Amino acid sequence: MKLPNFPKPLARFVSTLPSWPASRAFAAAGNLLAWPALRELDWSHVAGRRFRVQVSDLGLKLYFTVHANGFRALHNGLADVTFTATAQDFARLALRLEDPDTLFFNRRLLIEGDTNLGLSVKNMLDAVELETAAAGMPAGMGRVVMKLRHLAQR
Amino acid sequence: MPALLELICPAGSLPALKAAVDNGADGVYLGLKDNTNARNFAGLNFDAKSLTEGIRYAHNKGVKVLMALNTYPQPDTVSRWHQAVDTAATSGLDAIILADPGLMAYARKVHPNLRLHLSVQGSATSYEAVNFYRERFGIQRAVLPRVLSLPQVENVVNNTDVEIELFGFGGLCVMVEGRCLLSSYACGDSPNTFGACSPGHAVRWQQTPKGMETRLNGVLIDRYADDEKAGYPTLCKGRFDVQGETYYALEEPTSLNSMEMLPEMARIGIAAIKIEGRQRSPAYVAQVTQVWRAAIDAVKKDQAAFKPNPAWMAQLNKVSEGSMSTLGAYYRPWK
Amino acid sequence: MKLSLGPLLYYWSREDTLAFYEEAANWPVDSIYLGETVCSRRHLLRLSDWLELAEKLTAAGKEVVLATQTLIESESDLKALRKLVADGRFLVEANEWGAVRLLAEKGAPFVAGPALNAYNPDTLGLLAELGAKRWVPPVEMPRDMIMSMLASPAVPEALETELFAYGRLPLAFSARCFTARRYNLQKDDCQFRCLDHPDGLTMRTRESEDFLTLNGIQTQSAKVMSLAHRVDELRAAGIDLLRLSPQSRHMGRVVEVFRTLLEGGLAASAVPEKLDKLMPGQPCDGYWLGEAGMAYHPM
Repeated sequence: MKLPNFPKPLARFVSTLPSWPASRAFAAAGNLLAWPALRELDWSHVAGRRFRVQVSDLGLKLYFTVHANGFRALHNGLADVTFTATAQDFARLALRLEDPDTLFFNRRLLIEGDTNLGLSVKNMLDAVELETAAAGMPAGMGRVVMKLRHLAQR
Repeated sequence: MPALLELICPAGSLPALKAAVDNGADGVYLGLKDNTNARNFAGLNFDAKSLTEGIRYAHNKGVKVLMALNTYPQPDTVSRWHQAVDTAATSGLDAIILADPGLMAYARKVHPNLRLHLSVQGSATSYEAVNFYRERFGIQRAVLPRVLSLPQVENVVNNTDVEIELFGFGGLCVMVEGRCLLSSYACGDSPNTFGACSPGHAVRWQQTPKGMETRLNGVLIDRYADDEKAGYPTLCKGRFDVQGETYYALEEPTSLNSMEMLPEMARIGIAAIKIEGRQRSPAYVAQVTQVWRAAIDAVKKDQAAFKPNPAWMAQLNKVSEGSMSTLGAYYRPWK
Repeated sequence: MKLSLGPLLYYWSREDTLAFYEEAANWPVDSIYLGETVCSRRHLLRLSDWLELAEKLTAAGKEVVLATQTLIESESDLKALRKLVADGRFLVEANEWGAVRLLAEKGAPFVAGPALNAYNPDTLGLLAELGAKRWVPPVEMPRDMIMSMLASPAVPEALETELFAYGRLPLAFSARCFTARRYNLQKDDCQFRCLDHPDGLTMRTRESEDFLTLNGIQTQSAKVMSLAHRVDELRAAGIDLLRLSPQSRHMGRVVEVFRTLLEGGLAASAVPEKLDKLMPGQPCDGYWLGEAGMAYHPM
């Protein structure tokens, strides 16, 4: 099964959302779902650096920083590094189904700005085991994630 | 029995190591989080904790762990390389992969039982060179640079006791490894001393009205139209102008894939096949290891009947630079 | 400091090559390196020709060093190497470790070439132990590192240091011939196109900046390494010889500028202007300062 594309009407709706609430929702979700597994990593050299994640097919831009206690949403502004891909490709990356370099060669992933920062975060995330991350998620979410990965792999 | 076509896979992180082990590698190679190895990228590689865990995981499943210490120690920081050798010796690793003769002398003297491999970064392309390292430091295996044709490789194999390891798949160095300073000419850091070609701090990607541009310390490596595949930001894979013609003057963005030569490699007695890509994700390691495990098993079962399965080749091309692959120098006309 | 004329890295006609060395016999250089270090297909001069040249130049008062091929691929490459080492009349520059092995076995003193990658005192000490009487640091090695190397007790004081001080930098070697590739030819049928490019083929970026030089299987810088204006730093660092790398035009005048500079007849600050007209490209000196090799800092 392939991960489904984002339904068009929903995409149109998302693209009308302002960045700030979306960034806040993203940071909140990140802190809830991913942070338990990520807090172990050494984020000291990343602290305060500004990230922008552009979901190209949704026209969505997320701005945030990472600190010792988790993600923090930012108002629109300048970013130190920008990651651009489609919602589906971001999802496949998060589920460890796709290799970022492969996406880059195929022009489906772009890292602009501070390349070292971008690669360093990419490599740090690669070093986290999905099983560990899923185990750290609250109330059954981890099982959902692993199930989703399993389905998408077939 | 001498080693034959062992599958040696890359691990830039613990999940990548596990992916290699779980998908059929005979050995994994890894490096520490500093410039003692030639994949010195931020966030990549192993610290004391992940190293211990990685060795435990691999050894439990009978898989060897090799450590690359394949950059060149420099006068003021030699002790960092010495410590890395000491770490390797006490951690129960199966071998270390070295390029520098001075470091080999240290390893030989202080840890005489530690198995030594000659890294591709040592640039040994003849049996005279390989035998030099054998006599002096007792190396047991050499990884040859990606510059010899297969008959030339055979000539090396026939004239040395040292096991020969060849690159099977992955990023393709066009230049003799250990003898390429293109990166430092443009940005000050080379694989030999810094441990990375085109290090992240010097690379910039930017979408512009003319296309996506890749620069190394300001030097334009290439500019891609929207429908063009991209390559790594290395100078040897860029497009340049020679006599008014713009083309890939050194090499296209492409990966090495020598799978169709596996029967020949088995015949001449190649001890191990190396898969490139410590900078890549666990997803890549899992996919590539799986395919090569199947291919090597097939060759060992029946050399004569072996043909690369089209599904394998498609899988490998998918993860290749520019989605293309080449036989490289193994096939003489490439030169 | 002494001056040396490095090995000819390009492929010239037999007449041009012989004429070049006939002139060089009269240039004020102390050492001359001879031999084909780049490509085994370049055969207009055979070992016997180089040896004959070596005799002539020795008679003209030059120290002659025979340089070995940097990339050894085939058995015939090894045969040529063994013949060169066996001759024994002249000092040899070893450019890969197979040559070191043969020279050490024979007990012959040698020059450790720049491609041997002696990046630390232990390795350099080992080379000295094996018979190196002189070394050429990797061309990317900065001044501070060279000074640390020479200060180490592992490196014998008597070992001479020769620095690549002028010319397009040899940066990389490949199995592939990039000159042949330019003409869509295979290396085995290259039609010796290198002969048409006596100073290599310039490779520019898509923004029209001269960047690299294609010279067969070798890739060089497009800029010309030039350390003449840093002569005081070179002396202070303990450099014994300055290597000047041959170019097709004005080489004698380049040598002249360096000689005059060393003898105090020319101020270091006046050199860049003099050399500027004689160079086939823009100058660079970044490697010496520990920066990108292509950087340049006039003093």
